[in-house]
Amino acid sequence: MKLLRKTVRGYLIYSVFILLIAIPAFYLTFQQVLQHETDEELMATKIYMRPKLEKAISDSAAFHFLDDYMSVAPATGNLKGDSLYTVDIFDTIEKDIIPFRFIRSTIDLKGKPYVITRRISLLEKEDLIKTILIFQIILLILLLGGLFVINRRLSLKIWRPFYLIMDKLHNYRVETQRTLKLPSTGITEFNDLKNSLENLAERSHQTFISQKEFTENASHEMQTPLAIMRGKLELLMQTSPLNEEQANLIDELADAGQRMMRLNKSLILLTKIENNQFQDQETVDLKNIVENFIYKQYTSQLEQKRIIISADLKSNIQLHANRMLIEILVSNLLGNAIRHNNEGGSIYIIIGNNLLTVKNNGRTTELDTNKIFTRFQKDGTDANSLGLGLEIARKICDLYHYQFLYSFTEGFHQFTVQFSHAND
Amino acid sequence: MKILIVEDERELSRSMVSYLQKENYHCDLAVDFAEGRTKIESFDYDCVLLDISLPDGSGLQLLKELKNDGKMEGVIIISAKNSLDDRIEGLNLGADDYLSKPFHLSELSARIAAVIRRKRFQGNTVLVFNELTIDLIAKTILVDQKPLDLTRKEFDLLLYLASNKNRVVSKNAIAENLSGDDAHLYDNFDFLYAHMKNLKRKLTIAGCNDYIKSVYGMGYKFTM
Repeated sequence: MKLLRKTVRGYLIYSVFILLIAIPAFYLTFQQVLQHETDEELMATKIYMRPKLEKAISDSAAFHFLDDYMSVAPATGNLKGDSLYTVDIFDTIEKDIIPFRFIRSTIDLKGKPYVITRRISLLEKEDLIKTILIFQIILLILLLGGLFVINRRLSLKIWRPFYLIMDKLHNYRVETQRTLKLPSTGITEFNDLKNSLENLAERSHQTFISQKEFTENASHEMQTPLAIMRGKLELLMQTSPLNEEQANLIDELADAGQRMMRLNKSLILLTKIENNQFQDQETVDLKNIVENFIYKQYTSQLEQKRIIISADLKSNIQLHANRMLIEILVSNLLGNAIRHNNEGGSIYIIIGNNLLTVKNNGRTTELDTNKIFTRFQKDGTDANSLGLGLEIARKICDLYHYQFLYSFTEGFHQFTVQFSHAND
Repeated sequence: MKILIVEDERELSRSMVSYLQKENYHCDLAVDFAEGRTKIESFDYDCVLLDISLPDGSGLQLLKELKNDGKMEGVIIISAKNSLDDRIEGLNLGADDYLSKPFHLSELSARIAAVIRRKRFQGNTVLVFNELTIDLIAKTILVDQKPLDLTRKEFDLLLYLASNKNRVVSKNAIAENLSGDDAHLYDNFDFLYAHMKNLKRKLTIAGCNDYIKSVYGMGYKFTM
């Protein structure tokens, strides 16, 4: 649930709750008040009618001033005191049932008990209540609705910097952006957040840079001693006399040195890709590159392992990229397919649908997808494998926003590059 | 033949001198830009090995001055960067070759030999070892004046070993020379042994002496 909806929902529930309580409560209270008023008016009848009635009795006149709403009659039985009650009566004029409030009181007039009955229509009062109630409801709804809208808009406005910050954070890449530029807000909390995040980004970037620089410097600085070592070993080979034992030792040293040099070269390449030092871009014909590798550069390697290669290159892909990087990508994929293949195995290469797929035999179990794309993950048995090939391929794909996928089906290891903005 | 090595890493230049002296090259050393410039101005060399990153300037600048002075030396650029831009710029400025660090001394020696041959003999280059003749332009081999049919790889292999005659050339250096960066794709040196076997067989059948000797499996030596 979104933060905004959550806060607004609280308000909404409270408002409905209040409305549901307030309206009946108001109705009942108001009705009580009005009934009380009516009752008081009825009670007052007794007092103000007494002089009139007494005068009429002493004059032996008829109670001509009485109407439908009031009657006076000599008391029968022993009725005492006052009683108030409500009765619904059908009104012939209004043609409706109308509630009436009655009072029946017994009073002594000139020593004789009389019963006075008086009624007051409650219709007007009910109407009044209804009208007020409707106003009340409209008012309340307007008030709460207004509050709700204002609150929502205010919240939106208040949280806007938050969403802006979120958006910026989402797009922040520690590799490329030195600083995180967040919008300034007038709100202290958000400014704190902004400053903290900016500092965090700055520090992360610094750490990233220094780590990268370390790899870069280490690789570059290693080149000279490696070159010296290689030179001295070659000089050592020329010395005589040289016995077989010494020759073997030199040979093994040379092999180790060779691996170290290749490792170093690959690390430098990785760093260069990460530093985006391959800026030159051109239109690269993928089919052309693949054909060059399988029919020219790698033919002797394929022959030596007796690998059968089947290429489906009917549809071509033109890429806008750095030629060297695409060549490295293809050579790494094909190189892996050759190196990790069995004697007499096969390789399938398919270009089409914006995809480059390389399938090969090899180990009969699936590779660990969590590990293959990380540095120095290698087939333990192969001393020639550096464990950097796939990492380099992945870095190239990352650079150009290509998807790099691995799957294992029917005994084939399959690596696929999905080119995002290529023209098929 | 005189070679100037402009390289600030003394140990590396000493190795180079050591290796090249056996080829009867006379080597001069310069450790920085200034010394390099003085030596180039004062003497004539057959070949200059130029490191790009010198402590007091760029080797490319030195190359520019050298070419501006109309010097005819062959120049091989040596760079630790292995960047395409440096390579292109260097070759555009008139360098004859480019070698990235770390390199095999045997590779360096072969490249120097090629550059000097181009410069001094105007490409009219035929290497003769008794009955064996290597024609570098036509890329053909003659044994007792009879042409020998070799594959491109076998020719390269023979030329590389002959360019380092009487020196042990390591397996790694040969593999790299034959396959470039792709040498690592082979699980072992079988491809090298296969080419070597074919080459030696063809030479023997043609009546050539067995000049190529294996040195304890460490490398090969073209012995005269």
